[in-house]
Amino acid sequence: MPCVTVTVRNPSGLHARPAATFVKAAAAYATDVRITNLTRDAARSASAKSILGVMGLGVSQGHELQIEADGEDAERAVAELAALVEGGLGESLPA
Amino acid sequence: MRRLRGIAAAPGVAAAPPYRLAFDAGPGGARLDLDAAVEVAVAQLDALAARLAAAGRPDEGAIFDAQALLAQDEELLGAARTSVAAGEGVDAAVVAAGEEAATMLAALDDETLAARAADVRDVAARIARAARGEAPPRLERPSVLVAADVAPSITAELDRSLLAGIALEGGSRTSHAAILARALGIPAVVGIPGLLAAVEGAGELIVDGTSGEVIVEPDAAARGHAIAAGDAHRAQLARDLALATQPLALAGGHRLVLAANIGSPEEAARAVAAGAEAVGLFRTEFAFLERAAAPDEATQAAAYASVLRTLGPRPVVMRLLDVGGDKPLPYLPMPVEANPFLGVRAIRLVHAHREIMATQLRAILRASRAAGVAEPRIMAPMVADLADLREVRGLLDEALAATGGDGVAPRLGIMVEVPSAVLVADQLAREAAFFSVGTNDLTQYLLAADRTNPALAERQDPLHPAVLRAIARVVAAAGAGGIEVAVCGEMGGDPAGALLLAGLGVDELSMDAGAFGGVKRALAGVTLAEARSLAGAALELDDAAAVRRLVGVRVGTA
Repeated sequence: MPCVTVTVRNPSGLHARPAATFVKAAAAYATDVRITNLTRDAARSASAKSILGVMGLGVSQGHELQIEADGEDAERAVAELAALVEGGLGESLPA
Repeated sequence: MRRLRGIAAAPGVAAAPPYRLAFDAGPGGARLDLDAAVEVAVAQLDALAARLAAAGRPDEGAIFDAQALLAQDEELLGAARTSVAAGEGVDAAVVAAGEEAATMLAALDDETLAARAADVRDVAARIARAARGEAPPRLERPSVLVAADVAPSITAELDRSLLAGIALEGGSRTSHAAILARALGIPAVVGIPGLLAAVEGAGELIVDGTSGEVIVEPDAAARGHAIAAGDAHRAQLARDLALATQPLALAGGHRLVLAANIGSPEEAARAVAAGAEAVGLFRTEFAFLERAAAPDEATQAAAYASVLRTLGPRPVVMRLLDVGGDKPLPYLPMPVEANPFLGVRAIRLVHAHREIMATQLRAILRASRAAGVAEPRIMAPMVADLADLREVRGLLDEALAATGGDGVAPRLGIMVEVPSAVLVADQLAREAAFFSVGTNDLTQYLLAADRTNPALAERQDPLHPAVLRAIARVVAAAGAGGIEVAVCGEMGGDPAGALLLAGLGVDELSMDAGAFGGVKRALAGVTLAEARSLAGAALELDDAAAVRRLVGVRVGTA
């Protein structure tokens, strides 16, 4: 099962705006994507397609985020979502 | 008349009748099922986000964009659906589901997430109102909004032209309503104990968002005072706004390039908002910090491109990675050095870690191409002589070959901070595309005074005549070589320092965007001839204190 760990560098973590960007991107894949905040609680995961689930993981700056998926486009989903997080989730880009 | 005290949340003063926030069932409002209520709520939120974005407030718009996503969240709606299936009313079910989710977020012991809990309650309340067929609140005349607490979407939804002020019994300076009030320029006081009871039946209210005071039923004197204070506040705002759109110029019109120092995407946006014409120092370290492994080329390229896009057509000087033994990275092992500031740092790492620099150069070229920057400006820190500059030039040529160039023609300049570079500036000016003086390090190196040693803090003043003479020498060498000189150290953001730099003939001042106003004001009062004679006199003084006394008279800090 494709799985990758990235560090969230956004100053405010994965909260309202960056979380929304992430969830919208995750929703574009057919596969289920689960994320886990390894820094806070490695035993608890949430659907990457739920903004409430993502925010509920309490991801702050510097936290390690594990992204995993299981399905037809899983490889692509995991790689692209990881790259999106690494790139700062478009924060501060003009709308 | 009764005075209440709260937390000053958004500056300004307003006097108007109170509008007690309450929701009325719209005439003939039909009750909706959960899915239909969600649809109405999402449509309202999308419209709100679009309206704020169109009004030039995309950051606020994004809050409601995220709320629209929340309104469709299956974790939230799933819980509500279960309750509805069990026979509960739609509005009660969705409010309960929202409350549960908000409690979960608030329990995470994180200030930002606690504020997001308010978003969840806000969204649930909106869906519940839609389910009950209620219309959003409306102002009929200029009013002060009074409530226990107010959801951000309500603040943004009310007619701005009729919203004179906000007074809340609850809330904090960091709650959404306060942030939005500041962004909208609406005076607000929050956290006022006893507000709702005191306002009951009152005809007029004064909200002083600067002092944090609310006056219920003010007398004529208090009202007159409030109106004058409100006018003064608006006049100050207008002056600040006028200054933000003004260039950096001396009396008589001599212009300097007003540039910002940035170190993150957020600061790039702030620089644009503050009216920066350029970025004189883009610290690329942010892409390398707080990571377990070095960022790869694509990751760096994405990070740089996002910053370059934010800055649009403004020239951006990107400084190559400037790290050393004093700020080591976990994936860049560096031996412990007795003097890290005199050690293997910045471009000196090229020998031990060549691939790190090569990767960064390729990432910069790729980001520039992606962001449509034809002539990216790249700055090498810690260049001591021509050999250093040629070493980086060689690496840059390799990176160009590796990325195929593709019409990107980089300009390689240097940060002038090592004293030897000052002494051979004439040689460097023949091969560098530009100079940027890093006055912080130049001062520490010229005066042999460790920046990190508090006992030597007094020796850290860049207004020292030795530093000024070094800068004069650099400016002369640049002039002979036909290249431009910027200053990107703290000195450029200090009104006294900026005035001297203008007099010494520097072309560009790069500073934290927060310093723009003070520097513009300082320069606007002095002609080029005056600045030159001031700088000339400063060069001959005995020490930094004497220079400060001389210049302080002109900038009003003496």
